[in-house]
Amino acid sequence: MTPVLELRGIDKSFGPVQVLHDVDFSVHPGEVTALVGDNGAGKSTLVKCIGGIHAVDSGEYFFDGKTVQINSPRDAAELGIEIVYQDLALCDNLDIVQNMFLGREHRRGIVLDEDTMEEMAARTLESLSVRTVKSIRQHVSSLSGGQRQTVAIAKAVLWNSKVVILDEPTAALGVAQTAQVLELVRRLADQGLAVVLISHNMNDVFAVSDRIAALYLGRMAAQVRTSDVTHAQVVELITSGRSGDLGLTNGVSA
Amino acid sequence: MRAGPSQEEIRRHNLGALLRHVHLGGPTSRAELTSRMGLNRSTIMALTADLTAAGLVREELPRETGRAGRPSLVVRPESARVYVFAFDVGVDRLVAARVGLGGAILDRRETVRRRGPFSLEEIVGPLAGFARQMRRKTRPDTVCVGAAAAFSGGVNRGNGVVRFGPNMGPAEDVPFAEEMTRRLAFGMPVKVGNDANLAALAEHSRGVGVGCRDLIYLHGDVGVGGGIIVNGQLLGGHAGFGGEIGHMVVNPKGRLCGCGSLGCLEAEVGERTLLEAAGRVPGAVSVATGPGAVPVAAGPGAVSIAAGSGADGHETPRSGADGRRERLIGRDAVRAVVDAADRGDIVAQAALSRVGDWLGLGVANLVNVFNPEMVIFGGMLREVYLGSAAQVRSRLAVDALSASREGLRLRTSALGDDATLMGAAELAFAPVLADPLEALARAGS
Repeated sequence: MTPVLELRGIDKSFGPVQVLHDVDFSVHPGEVTALVGDNGAGKSTLVKCIGGIHAVDSGEYFFDGKTVQINSPRDAAELGIEIVYQDLALCDNLDIVQNMFLGREHRRGIVLDEDTMEEMAARTLESLSVRTVKSIRQHVSSLSGGQRQTVAIAKAVLWNSKVVILDEPTAALGVAQTAQVLELVRRLADQGLAVVLISHNMNDVFAVSDRIAALYLGRMAAQVRTSDVTHAQVVELITSGRSGDLGLTNGVSA
Repeated sequence: MRAGPSQEEIRRHNLGALLRHVHLGGPTSRAELTSRMGLNRSTIMALTADLTAAGLVREELPRETGRAGRPSLVVRPESARVYVFAFDVGVDRLVAARVGLGGAILDRRETVRRRGPFSLEEIVGPLAGFARQMRRKTRPDTVCVGAAAAFSGGVNRGNGVVRFGPNMGPAEDVPFAEEMTRRLAFGMPVKVGNDANLAALAEHSRGVGVGCRDLIYLHGDVGVGGGIIVNGQLLGGHAGFGGEIGHMVVNPKGRLCGCGSLGCLEAEVGERTLLEAAGRVPGAVSVATGPGAVPVAAGPGAVSIAAGSGADGHETPRSGADGRRERLIGRDAVRAVVDAADRGDIVAQAALSRVGDWLGLGVANLVNVFNPEMVIFGGMLREVYLGSAAQVRSRLAVDALSASREGLRLRTSALGDDATLMGAAELAFAPVLADPLEALARAGS
């Protein structure tokens, strides 16, 4: 199966500091790829490069097998790449539908096409089997943490996205809500999307991921199938960049 | 030698097949049914007409098609009219529901079951009462086409006798189906199946396992039950006791199981073990608070309230005094352990990790024997799996054959707490899906 998104040899520096060294990263449709690494390993930078927020210094970017140029977040969104950040970027004073279409409202002539937007939002939530929300005209300020996360994810899925990147979606959630969000993450992939999950929680990573990509000091230590590795191996990859024959040798990918 | 099936048999089969399509797949257009069933358009029309006349389905114009041409009529199950009674007998709860054709829960009643010595009357009484209450509220044009119960124990397939139920009090050789039929007195037999077996079938037909030919469902109540589906069929075994995954011995020098053996999977990963390892043994409090089942009954009562008050409820179990938290049993207690582990409680983390390790070993054995496409964690094992997935999958990576685990998907139940109840509903619907007109005639008489 060809990856829907593939990066090869990505380098990225901020001034004198090189944050990403020769990073390869691929994401497959129908799979959850967990992106793990210690604080400062380069996860956020990598994601921002994917999303077009940072321009890469060098390296190749393939989408659906074709090489593409990503110069802005808009380019990434047009390809169908959506990123859900930790802060969720939802507007408290707007309702669910308004949030989901924020900045991309449907119009009929000069007025907003509320009916179509409402129906699309309802259909998206329905397709994700989201039943925790009472009304889609509810203000976001009245939602719980898990429900907000759900709305943010649904917003990302609404646009026929192909790749959805979730930055720590279960951080700060209680057990019941974590379970719901993890199941939602799994459902997205089972419906054919490529999902990237950034998480520090190894149970979350193992519960839903198909592949694990471990970054170590700005290098991709290994990208492995979750079913082939153990918890201990992944922890080693995160903390020392290598584990047995997996990982980096002398700081270079094997 | 017998000739091929008669016209009449083919028609009966097709009627059942069409009804099953809309029962499981929801409203479906005639055009779609034509292509899915591989039948002629006029045949589909005739079959739909028969089912409509019988009041099992109705046809409607679709809301919008977005395509040119005359829209194909949508066939919907008559959910509000045709229904079954489904019952779920778990260790801590008794549920009765009226489930409409298509799988919609129309009405439901639930009560807490006290842990304690088994009493048939204390189970059958409330359930039969609930069923009568719900029946009184139905409109006169509705028709009940069956009734079935899921029971947390080993059920003899032939006569619905519960042969064993170590966590139910224990229950042994209880004529449960017979007693339910007698007390309900609806003029139709109540079928009974093992709860995990039925939940496996429900997940297979309308849950996360749709489209999987080979799957294994693990159900955590107090113990661990299982349902194994091989090539689309439930593995029942000789008398229907198959799939008792919880009593697979994984640790011969391990903990004593309710069934009398040592180190059954259930004994190593069940609720009691998890709570003990996490230092939250409910027994200690029942001594402190006085007689018998009182704190035990209060526990699951608190569960349903906490769960009902919404997903934010995770704070609830911890909000009380420490003594209160110790008192929790059942799902709420398990959830509290997972929650504590998530917040950094090292005792809870160690307990989950230990349980996850054994769970992984059990699943690895199953994967090596059955090579399933999917393993589903339901009941309280949903929380346990999500809270200990790192251990479970590490074990699998080490102990399962790489060829057998390739392509294996680990999932949590899509039907959640209703998996067993929906399984019972499917069992009750089986006759009407096999031969719709005949079953309906029988129900109406």
